[in-house]
This record gives sequence, C-alpha cells and structure tokens, in this order.
Amino acid sequence: MFALEITGVDRTFHVAGKPVPALRDISLSIREGEFVAIVGGSGCGKSTLLRLILGLDRPDRGEVRVGGQPVRGPGLDRGIVFQEHRLLPWLTAETNVAAALRRSGLDSAQRRQRVAEYLDLVGLTAFAKAWPAQLSGGMAQRVAIARALVNRPRFLLLDEPLGALDALTRLRLQAELARIVRHGGTTALLVTHDVDEAVFLADRLVVMQPHPGRISDVLTVDPAARRDRSSAVFLRVRDKVLGMLGVETEAVRAGAYETAA
Amino acid sequence: MTIRRAVSRAIAGIAMPLLLLAAWSLIAREGWLPDQILPAPGVVLATLKEFIASGDLQDATLISLERVAKGFAAGAVAGLGFGAAIGLSPRLNRLFGPTFLGLAQVPLLAWMPVLILLVGIDEGLKVILIGIATFIPVVLNVAQGFRDVPPALREVGAVLLFDPWSMLTQIVLPAAVPSIFTGLREGLANAWQTVIAVEVFASSEGLGYLMAWGRQLFQLDLVLAVVVVLGVIGFALNWGLARLERRLDRWQVRPA
Repeated sequence: MFALEITGVDRTFHVAGKPVPALRDISLSIREGEFVAIVGGSGCGKSTLLRLILGLDRPDRGEVRVGGQPVRGPGLDRGIVFQEHRLLPWLTAETNVAAALRRSGLDSAQRRQRVAEYLDLVGLTAFAKAWPAQLSGGMAQRVAIARALVNRPRFLLLDEPLGALDALTRLRLQAELARIVRHGGTTALLVTHDVDEAVFLADRLVVMQPHPGRISDVLTVDPAARRDRSSAVFLRVRDKVLGMLGVETEAVRAGAYETAA
Repeated sequence: MTIRRAVSRAIAGIAMPLLLLAAWSLIAREGWLPDQILPAPGVVLATLKEFIASGDLQDATLISLERVAKGFAAGAVAGLGFGAAIGLSPRLNRLFGPTFLGLAQVPLLAWMPVLILLVGIDEGLKVILIGIATFIPVVLNVAQGFRDVPPALREVGAVLLFDPWSMLTQIVLPAAVPSIFTGLREGLANAWQTVIAVEVFASSEGLGYLMAWGRQLFQLDLVLAVVVVLGVIGFALNWGLARLERRLDRWQVRPA
C-alpha cells in the first residue's frame, strides 16, 4: 500500500483577477518508509503541493490520499517542518514540543516523557527551558523537527527546512535529519531547491518545473550515492538533476559522464 | 558593569528634570517672570508640604485616583472585549468597525453636554467620560493586535489541530500582548488627563478642582504643586504597567 497517493491534482490561484496555475496534473505515489525529495526552482509549486498534503489547502481537481484516506484537513498523522522554525516565541523549547501533543490524547506523564525523548533525539535536552529567541537558527530548527515528530506521524513533511541556515549548520543538520528519519522509519517528503541535499537524503527524487508547476522527472537514487558526497556516483546524480533544472555543470559540459551514463 | 550601566542610565534620566529645575530657580530668582505667574520652587515645595500636612492633597489625590480606577477599569474591560471581538471576527468588524471609528473621532469634551443631560453632572458623568477616554485607544490597539497575529503561527495552530480555545490562549493572546499593553498605557494616560479635565470643569473635589481653585485665587504655587503630583502619579502608573508587560513578555530577549 502507498503511504501517499496524489492523483491528477490541479491547483490554480487567482492573482489580481488572473488565474495563475500553480500545479498541473500532479500524480505521485510514495511507499511506506520511503524518503522522497521534490526539487525544483522557485515557482514550481512545491510548497503548494505540501500544503495540499497537509490539508491547509484543497486541490481544484484530483485527489490527495494519505494512508488510503482522502485528505480533508490537517491531522496529527502528518508532521511538518517549515523553512522558518515557526516556534511559538512565548513558549520554551520544551513547551513548544509539548504544544504539539495537546490533541494527542496522552496523559501529562506520557507527554513529559515523550517531549524529553524527542528533545533528546535532536540533542537539545540541555536547552529544554530556553526561549526560541535564545536559540541559534540551527537549534531552533531542531526543536521544530522534534515538534513535528513528537506525535510519531506516519508522514514527515519538510518544506525547505534547512533553507534559512548557514552552510555549515545545514550540512550538519542534513546528516542529523538522515539519522532521525531513519531512526523512526517515518515516511518523509522533503521539498528543497538544494539538489545536493536532495541527493544526500532521498531514496527518490521528483523534479518539478515551473509555470505551471508540474513533475518532469522521477529518479531513484543509488544508495551508494548517499554514503559519500564527493563520490562519482553522487556527483553524477547531482549533475544530472542540475541539468534537468537548467544548470549545466563544467563536468557535464566536458562530457565527463558520457561513458558512465 | 550592569550596575555602572544602571547608574549611568539613572543619571541620564534625571539630568533633564534637574536642568529644568535649575532654569526654573534661575528665572524665579532673577525675577524674569512675575511671582504670581512663576513662583519659586521653594514656594511650591512649601505649599506642597502645607497641603500634605492639612491632608487636603491626599484627599484630592484619592478622589481623582478613585475616579480613574473606576473609569479605567470599565473602559479597559469593555475595550478588551470589544477590541477582541472586532479583531477576531471580520464580520463583526464590518458591522461595528466603521461606526466605532466614526464615534472615536468625536472629541471627548464634545460628549459632555449630551452626557450632562443624560446622567447629570455627578460622579457618573466623570466615570463615563474617563471610561470613553480609555475605551477608544484600548479598542484600536487590541483589535489591531488580534488582527496582526502572524498567519504563519496561526497555521502552526491549524497543523497541530488546536481547538479555538488553544488557538486563543496559546497563539492569539500572547502574540497580541504588546498591542494590548500599548492600548492600556494609552488608555491610562487618557484616563488620567480626562479626570483632570472634568474636575476642572465640573467638580468640587479632586486634583483638577484643586488646580482650578488655585488658578482662581491666583495661587500659582498651588497649581504647580498639583502639576508635580500629577506628573509623579502618571509616571508611576505608566511604570507599573510597563513592569507588568515585561513579566508577561519575559520570552522577549531584550538587550541588557
């Protein structure tokens, strides 16, 4: 069974009275436990697609099903990490994570234990009582990851979660994200414009093109690629995807992969 | 380090009043303005002591404070409720917003003739006017604060399946705290100004009355003594509200 099935989805927005198609005929299925990354430039509708899966928006045509059920609104079976951490500034790290459990049905002892467990998972036990304003960007984003996971969702949605971080923090968190997602066996859908990040994290890449947003290619990532960012196989997948997005690398131009591909 | 900074801040804050006091002394000593118009600081201090000793100043202050307390409490509670309602509900805002904005433009004292006919010239009039003076800025700021809650945070609430109560207490109210306090502080300042205005016009007690009485008797030392008391009380009330806001907003990391 598929964890997520998107079939023939269209979504059009109206900007200043004019229809602007954001998504056209999107179909995509994701298996249980799979890590899929959607890559594409700005305006390709990747965030719109996430909002449809979250249930914050409805498609004009087509259907989104999570675990076989059509999406009718947000649910605790889907956790989300946004590009900005979106922690509630008036709650501490700990109470921000706990806020996600308000509708979980757990009693307070179970909640406390669950919050501690997930703060530990993201390595922030020592900062449980800190306000978001006291945390670095990377730490705040880790709290947001804990908040997204604390309900043990079937689905983890990641909307350019590392896009606002500095390069070093981003690399470190990519490795951590890989560990955390594999740890829970969660099905994950990552939206990003960072092709390196997508190749490093995902089992499968979905390439989207803009105006209107549509899926142009889907490719499976060789598990060997993930092990080493500087390996030939990693670079080959990355350059291939960059080429699909209209970025020609020097290696591609020089024909370095002609024989290999 | 922090002590030094606190001391230097206190010095900076007190420098201006001291300068004004010096200028006042100088003008009075050199006789640049007649005594009846600008009595010397020493004379004002003596008057202040005299009125404290007789208990008149305390009585007047208590009466004015009581009126402010009643009017401000009523105006603030009503303003919080109404401001929250039109801030949260676009429908209620469409219904009541324009009327409220129109009425808010009417100068406060313009209500007086109408209100005097309706409720007479007694205590009720004063409390109602102070209430209106508080109500208007509280409504304006509270409604704005409720409307300006970042949609990104509301979305977080939606994703976490917050019910309306959680949405209000966990997201909307905390986000609106700074605006609510701006409204309350403006309302309190208005209330304090209004009590003096109505007491000058229509009262036989209170600090405003004391001022009017001093002016009629050409006792400018008494007028100035009341001005000093008004300034000190206004400053203290504002300071108290600011402290309360800091407690509620302790999550904001402020520069030390």
